[in-house]
Parts: sequence; C-alpha cells; structure tokens
Amino acid sequence: MIELKNLSRQFGEMWAVRDLNLTINKGEFCVLVGTSGCGKSTTLRMINRLIEHSAGEIHIDGQPVRGFREDLLRRRIGYVIQHVGLFPHWTVARNIGLVPRLLGWEPERIAARVDELMALLGMSAERFSGKYPRQLSGGQAQRVGVARALAADPEILLMDEPFGALDPLTRDGLQEELLSLHHRLNKTIVFVTHDMDEALRLADRLVVMHEGQIRQQGRPIELLREPVDEFVESLLGGNSRGLKEAALTPVAQRLCHAEMTSGVPDIDANKTLRDALSLMLWHRVDCLNVVEGSESLGTLRLADVVTARAPMGTTRGLSS
Amino acid sequence: MSRLRGLTVPLVWLGLLLAACVGMDQLEPVFRWLEPSSRSVIYARADFLSLLGKHVLVVSVAGALSIIIGVGASIAVTRQWGRDFLPLVAQVAAIGQTFPPVAVLALAVPVLGFGTLPVIVALLLYGLLPIVRNTLAGLQGVSADVREAARGMGMRPHQRLWRVEMPLAASVIVAGIRTSVTISIATAAIGATMGASNLGDPIISGIVNGNTAHVLQGALLIALLALCVDSLFAWLQSGRSGL
Ligand SMILES: Nc1ncnc2c1ncn2[C@@H]1O[C@H](COP(=O)(O)OP(=O)(O)OP(=O)(O)O)[C@@H](O)[C@H]1O
Ligand SMILES: [Mg+2]
Repeated sequence: MIELKNLSRQFGEMWAVRDLNLTINKGEFCVLVGTSGCGKSTTLRMINRLIEHSAGEIHIDGQPVRGFREDLLRRRIGYVIQHVGLFPHWTVARNIGLVPRLLGWEPERIAARVDELMALLGMSAERFSGKYPRQLSGGQAQRVGVARALAADPEILLMDEPFGALDPLTRDGLQEELLSLHHRLNKTIVFVTHDMDEALRLADRLVVMHEGQIRQQGRPIELLREPVDEFVESLLGGNSRGLKEAALTPVAQRLCHAEMTSGVPDIDANKTLRDALSLMLWHRVDCLNVVEGSESLGTLRLADVVTARAPMGTTRGLSS
Repeated sequence: MSRLRGLTVPLVWLGLLLAACVGMDQLEPVFRWLEPSSRSVIYARADFLSLLGKHVLVVSVAGALSIIIGVGASIAVTRQWGRDFLPLVAQVAAIGQTFPPVAVLALAVPVLGFGTLPVIVALLLYGLLPIVRNTLAGLQGVSADVREAARGMGMRPHQRLWRVEMPLAASVIVAGIRTSVTISIATAAIGATMGASNLGDPIISGIVNGNTAHVLQGALLIALLALCVDSLFAWLQSGRSGL
C-alpha cells in the first residue's frame, strides 16, 4: 500500500505538487492523468525518491520512504521511465538483469529470471538476449524496459508513459500484456499516461490531476459518469464519454435475450459494447449474435446497448 | 583474434622506430648527400635509443599525471558535490587550448628553472586541457534517460560512474588522451632547449649548428614515435567503436 499524505514539492517559487492525498491499495492499478506539467511525473518520482518531497509524507506499507536508504528503496520498486533509458553498452539480457545483479543474486538465478521475463513479455530469449538496445525497435525496447523493472519481482511498479510513441497496435498488445501481468502477479502499479483510452482501460483507480493537485479520483466509470467539474469532464472526453463508457462495458453484461437470430454477424462475448456498436454500424444491422468460442450465447440488440440500465446511476448526463 | 590483428600497424611503426634508432648509421650515405660538408652527419653526441627512452619517459610521466588529474577533476566537477566548479574548469580547459604549447614551455622555465622537471610540468599542464575537455564532453554526453534509469534502478553513485557513465564516455575520453599524448610527443622535443635531453636534442643542436641532417634524424624519430603511439590509440578506440 502506498499512502501520499499532504504531499508537496516546490521548485523555486512554483509548486509542482501541492497538498496531494492519495492512497493506493496493494494490488491496485492506479493511473494518473492530467494536462502536461500538472505534476504527474513529479508525484511518481517522489515515491521512489528520485525527487525528494518538500512537505508531507509518503508511506509504503506503513513505513515512511525517508526511512529507507535511497538505492535500497529503488531496488524494491520497479521503475519504467518514459524514454526507456536502456544502457546502450549492455546487451538486452544484461539490462534486464541489472537490479538482480545489484541485489547480489547468483548468476544462474539471474540468467533463469531473464529468460523467464523475456518469455513473459513475448520476446524470444534466443533471438534477443544478446542484442544491444540500438538493434531493437521502439516496441521491443519498451518491453525490455518493462522486463527490467519487473526483474527483481518488486511489489510496486512505477510506469511513466511507458507506451508513449508506439503505434496503436503495438500499444494495444502491450496494454493487454500489462493487464494480464497485473492479474497474474498482483503488483501495485502507478501508471502515468496522456492517452485517455489507455487510462480508462487499465485503471482500477483513475486519478485526475490539475496544477499539482488531485481534481478527482475513483473508478473510471465513476469519473466518466460523475465528473466533479468541467475540467474533468472535458479531460475524460466531453461528448465522446458515451463511447468511452461503452468501451469499458463487456458485451456479456448486456446480454438479455437467450434466443438465436440467424443471418447476423457474430460478436465475441468478451468484446465491448463499443465494438458491438461499431459492428452494427458497419453491417447496418441492429442485432448481433453473441458467441463464446464456437458456442452461441444469444442475441444483443441495439436497444440493449442503448437503453439498458447503466451500471451506475446517471446523475449527470452528457452536456449538449 | 581479429582484435589482436589490429595491433599489426602499431607494431610495424614500433619496429621501424627501433630499427631507425639502432641502424641510423646505415643511412649515412643519404644524410651525407644532404650535408656533404659537415664533419658528422649522424648525430653522435648521445645514443638514439637512450634519447628515445628519455623522450618516452617524460611523455609517459606527464601523460599519466595528466590523465589522473584531468579525468579525476572532470569526474569531480560532474558530481553533485562538485557542480559549483564545473563552469570554472570547463572555461579554463577551453581557454587554455588557445595557448600555444611553446608558450607554456617558455613560461615554465622562469618558474621552475631548467631540466626535465619543468618540461614534465609544462607537458602535464598543457596535456590536461584536451583530456578535461573530452572527459567533460563524454560524461555530459551520457543521455538524461540513461542517468535517470541508473538512479531509478537503485545504482549507487560509484556504480553509476564506473558501470554506466565511464564506459559510455570512454571512447570520447580516449580520443582526448590521444590528442593530448600526440601533442606531448611533439612538444617534448622543444623541451630540449630547456636542458631536458630527449629526441629534441638532435633537432635543436642541428638548428644551432646548421646541420640539416641532425634535424632530420630527430624529426624522423619523433614522427615514427608519434605514428606508433597514435596507431596504438586508434586500435584502442576501434575496440569501442561498436557503441
Ligand atoms: N527538476 C525540476 N526543476 C524545476 N522545475 C521542475 C523540475 N521538474 C519538474 N518541474 C516542473 O514541475 C511541473 C510538473 O512537472 P512534471 O514533470 O511532474 O509534469 P508532468 O505532469 O509529468 O507533465 P508531462 O505530462 O508533460 O510529463 C512542471 O511545471 C515542471 O516544469
Ligand atoms: Mg511527465
């Protein structure tokens, strides 16, 4: 568990972060969003003490971070920096094995761990472990950056725009992998991004920051449905929030007709309402056959998508 | 193996250098043709090998001290605790370069007198400049992302320096040392005017006595020495060019 209490950081006269209170539970995926310069990176870097806080407190599992020796603290916290920052003079394997080596693991154990991580991130150890960072594509380097952060099996992972500057497909794949990693390994993750779709997809807890302070935090769906002010509303997408919410809702959740309809396109039950809407628009139909694998589960109608009771009370609608 | 094959060139120059020292007499007809009227055409006041030895010794001592002091100072001023001195050191290194080496030697005499010591001190001071300049450039050239990663992964300051910053700066630093040593080899010859005996002796005495053959012999040996050392550095640098 990470607790930030009245956390502040001043650079000269300017407060980069001011009086910030945030509790991130163990195993939670917390995403920080906000306009450029609002203090997201500063917040992240105060957690592993790359920047010292000017006021307030940071506790990890109840212990103040200032109580740890800096380098020992950082070895316990995985950190993925925005621009990857692999060491150009080291091979991929050596880069990944950095923190275990600092911790004094046996060479065999490090080698095994490196292979394990490369497999986890879908990179062939045989092909990549001997390569140098300059021989990697952007996406491959990002993966190595993530593998390096995971190497010593830290409880906490800090990720600062780790998938920036990637094409949508690679990005999508890495998000998918990160989500499944999170489910399997149950890490506490603090993640910074500018991409709202990415934030909504990944977050358990979404934190909207503005000028060094938290404007609103909560589950993505809560923020979409009940933004506290215009700023949060527009940051989350304004009028396109309907589609963003649809992208968070699985088709299975709105399936209420068990009978089959013939002659309409199939949609997988794991897909989202957004995919369903898109398919309907594309095929110019108003119902879809919901399937799971080869088994048919029933029919999804346009009316189910649009009118079914929203998971949350609709206290605040789309402005227009 | 191919790495060692790169040593061929420096070894060839070394062979030629030693052969020239030992067998300068064999070239007497050539020098006689240049200086038909002189009594001695081959410089004989001292043995070439021992002049070479002294030359190499002076350059090595001055070079080693320049490296230790130059690299050390550059490391110091790029650390958190030495940052305050960075602008000063960088400026001195930049301005010092515009001083001709001869002027440095000339200034050393009134302070330190004649002999080998002032030559070493002058070479040391002058040799510092390219080393400091390049070490600073090399260390500052390590990208901010790499630094951030090194810190963020929990490397201690000395680990960051020796495992990340220095290896990444190495090729630039070696280039600075190469410049420094090459200049020193040439400049040391002028030290002969200040009473340090080395390969500059034949040149100086040749100039004083109007004997071109002696001048040429000294110049030839210095050139061979410079080529030998320079190609050795080229080999050292080629090992890191893959970065
Ligand atoms: N080392 C520093 N010295 C001075 N000011 C700084 C420093 N680091 C950050 N700042 C300032 O603090 C503010 C917050 O910076 P921060 O990097 O946390 O923003 P951010 O939310 O991560 O922005 P972005 O989304 O563009 O990365 C900015 O106004 C920035 O200029
Ligand atoms: Mg940032």
